[in-house]
Amino acid sequence: MKKLFSFLRSMTFGMILLVAAMAFSFAGSLIPQQRAAMEYVERFGADAAKLILFLRLDRIFSSWYFILIVVLLALNLTFCSIVRLPKTRRAGTALVRAAASAAADHPLRAGQADVLRERLQKRRWKAKTSDGQTVYVRHLSGVYGSFLMHLSILLVLAIGGAVLTMPEITDITVMPGESFDLQDGTRVTVERFQIEDETGKLDYASTLSAQTKDGRTLTQEIRVNEPMRVGGYKIYQQTYGTAGKVRIHNADNDATDTLHLTEPCFLSIDGRNGVFFHALYPGYIQGADGSVTLVTSTSGAYADPVYEIQSVVDGSSTPVLAFPDETLTIGSVSFTMLEPDAYPGLRIKHVPGALLGALYASFVLMIAALYLCFFAAPAAIRVSEDGFALLSTKEKAGLLIEIETLLEGDL
Amino acid sequence: MNIAFFAGLIAYFAAMMLQITGVALGKKGLTRLARIAFAAGFALHTVYTVWRGIEAKRLPLANQFEFASGFAWSVAVMGFVLYARLRQEWTMTVAAPVAFLVLSYAAFQPMEIKDIMPALRSTWFALHIGSATFSYASFAIAGGLGVHYLIQCAHGRDEDETRMKQEDYLSYRLICLGYLLLTVVILSGCIWAEQAWSAWWSWDPKETWALITWILYAIYLHQRLRMKWHGKRAAWFAAIAVLCVLFTFAGVNILLPGLHSYAV
Repeated sequence: MKKLFSFLRSMTFGMILLVAAMAFSFAGSLIPQQRAAMEYVERFGADAAKLILFLRLDRIFSSWYFILIVVLLALNLTFCSIVRLPKTRRAGTALVRAAASAAADHPLRAGQADVLRERLQKRRWKAKTSDGQTVYVRHLSGVYGSFLMHLSILLVLAIGGAVLTMPEITDITVMPGESFDLQDGTRVTVERFQIEDETGKLDYASTLSAQTKDGRTLTQEIRVNEPMRVGGYKIYQQTYGTAGKVRIHNADNDATDTLHLTEPCFLSIDGRNGVFFHALYPGYIQGADGSVTLVTSTSGAYADPVYEIQSVVDGSSTPVLAFPDETLTIGSVSFTMLEPDAYPGLRIKHVPGALLGALYASFVLMIAALYLCFFAAPAAIRVSEDGFALLSTKEKAGLLIEIETLLEGDL
Repeated sequence: MNIAFFAGLIAYFAAMMLQITGVALGKKGLTRLARIAFAAGFALHTVYTVWRGIEAKRLPLANQFEFASGFAWSVAVMGFVLYARLRQEWTMTVAAPVAFLVLSYAAFQPMEIKDIMPALRSTWFALHIGSATFSYASFAIAGGLGVHYLIQCAHGRDEDETRMKQEDYLSYRLICLGYLLLTVVILSGCIWAEQAWSAWWSWDPKETWALITWILYAIYLHQRLRMKWHGKRAAWFAAIAVLCVLFTFAGVNILLPGLHSYAV
C-alpha cells in the first residue's frame, strides 16, 4: 500500500500521465470529434471507423480514459503537494542554515568580500543571522512556487470542472419585438436585431431590454464579446437566422393574420387548398436568358429574398417562386409574402458568481505561482573574507552570473 | 509602405549572413556590421508595424501575416535585450536567423489590410495575442539556442564550458518565460472564449495544440528539475519542442481549421 501511494505521488507517475494526456490530445486534434459515424467511414474507411468508434476516439475528451487521466493527475498533484508541504515550509529556513554552514567554494580576492556585501545589500538582499553567521537572502517566498502552482492547477481543474458542468444553458430564438422570461422573473425583450451595421459591415447585434422583478430596466446592445449580464445570468448573441413572413387574409370572414415561416409548412384553412412553404432564399442571379439561379446561403442580410412555395388547389400543386409583396390567391384566401425578418439566436447561461470569482482567482494564483517558480529563485549567500557560499533551491547558474556581474571589475 | 517591410526583411537577412560569416571567420568587424544591419532591420520592421497599426486602426496582430510579423518583431526585441544584457555574440547568432526565418514566413502570407472580424473586437485581444507573440519568440530563441548548442558540440567548439553553460541556462530561462506567457495566453483565451462564445474551452485544434505545447514544456521543466536535463539533452529538447510551437502557430491554421480559422 505504501509502495502504491509512493508511486501515485511520484513525479514519474505524473510524467506518465502528462505524456498520456498529450498523446490523447494529439489524437483528439487529428480525429474530428463528435461527428456522425458515417463521416468517419467516409474519411477513414469502414475498419478504421469501427476502431475509432469502439475506442471512443470520436469523443476522446469526454471518454472515461481521458477523464481518468485527469483525475489521476489531480490525485498525483494532491498527494505530491501534501507530502511535500512540510518540507516546503521548512525549505526557506533550511536554506539559510545550510548557507551558514556551507563551505565558501567560490573564492574572492582580498577586499572583494566587503564589496560583495555592500552590493548585495544595495540589491536588496536581506541580511539574516543563522548559527552566528550573517547570510544574505533573497526571494525566500519562492520556495512556495511549485506548491502554489500545483495548488492552482488543482483549483482550476476542480472549479473549472464545476463551471463547465454546472451552468444551466438554454438556447432560444426570439423574433424582434418578442419577450421571454428568466427563471428569476426578469422579463427580457428583443427590441431589435441587425445582421449588418449602417455601413453594411457584418455586425450581428441584438438590442435587449430587461425588466427585473424589482422594477429596474436595463437596455443593452449585445454582440459577440459583449453579452448582457442581468442578475446571475449572461445572455449571449449566439446565432441568427432569417424567417420568411406571410400575411394571410380570408375574404370569407375578413380575418387577417401574419405568420413567420422558419421551416417547411402547409398553410391552409381547409387542409386541401393553400400554400406549401418550402424555403426562403437570400437572393437570386438572373441569367442573360432570363433563367433564375437561387443563392442558397449568405452570411449577411437577405438582399433579394425569394420564397420557394407551391400553390395547392384540390390536391394538385404548382411550384412557384415568389418575391416579397407578391400575393397568391387560392379560393377566398390570399397569401402575401412579406419582407423576411432577421432574428437572433440567444444563449442564456446561469453561473453562480462566487464560482466565477473563484475561477478567476485560481487563474491569478497560477500566474503568480509561475512567477515565483521561475523568477523568484530563493537564494542564500554567506560571504567570508576568502570566498562565498551560494545556495539555492533552484538552478544556480543565473545567480552565479549575477554575482559575477555584481563584482565586475573586482573579480 | 510595404517597401519598409521588405527592406527590413533584407536587413535581417544581411544581419544573419554577416553574423554567421563574422563568427565563422572570427571577424569582429563583420559581427559589428551584423548588429547594425539587425538594428536597421528592426527599425524598418517597427516603422512598418506602426504604420500598419495606424492604417488598420487596430493592433496589427489580427491574421496570420500580422501575427508572424509580430512574432518576428518580438524575436528581434528579445534578441536586442539579450545582447544588451549579456554582450555575447551567440545571442545575435541565434536571434538574427530566427527573426529572418519567421519574417520570411510572414512574407509569404497575404498582406492586405482587412477589417478586423467581430469576434476579435475585444479588450482581451491585446493581452492574448501580444503574450502569444512573446511566448512563441521565447520558445523560438530557446530552440535556436538549442540548435546552436548542438552545432557547437558537433564541431568540437564546446571547450568553453562557461559559455556552453550560459547558453544552456539562457535556453532554460527563455523556456520559463515562454511557459509563463503561454499560460497567460491560455488563461486569457479561456476568459475571452467565455465572453465571446459562452464556452471556456471547446477543444478547438488551436486550443488543444496550445495545451499540448504547455504539457510538453511542463515535462521539460520537471525533467530539468528531476533528471537534471542539461547540456545536449536539454538542447535537443529545446530544438525539437519548438516544432510543436511552430505547428501550433502555423500548422494548425493550415491543416486543422477550427474556431481560430480567422488567424489564416
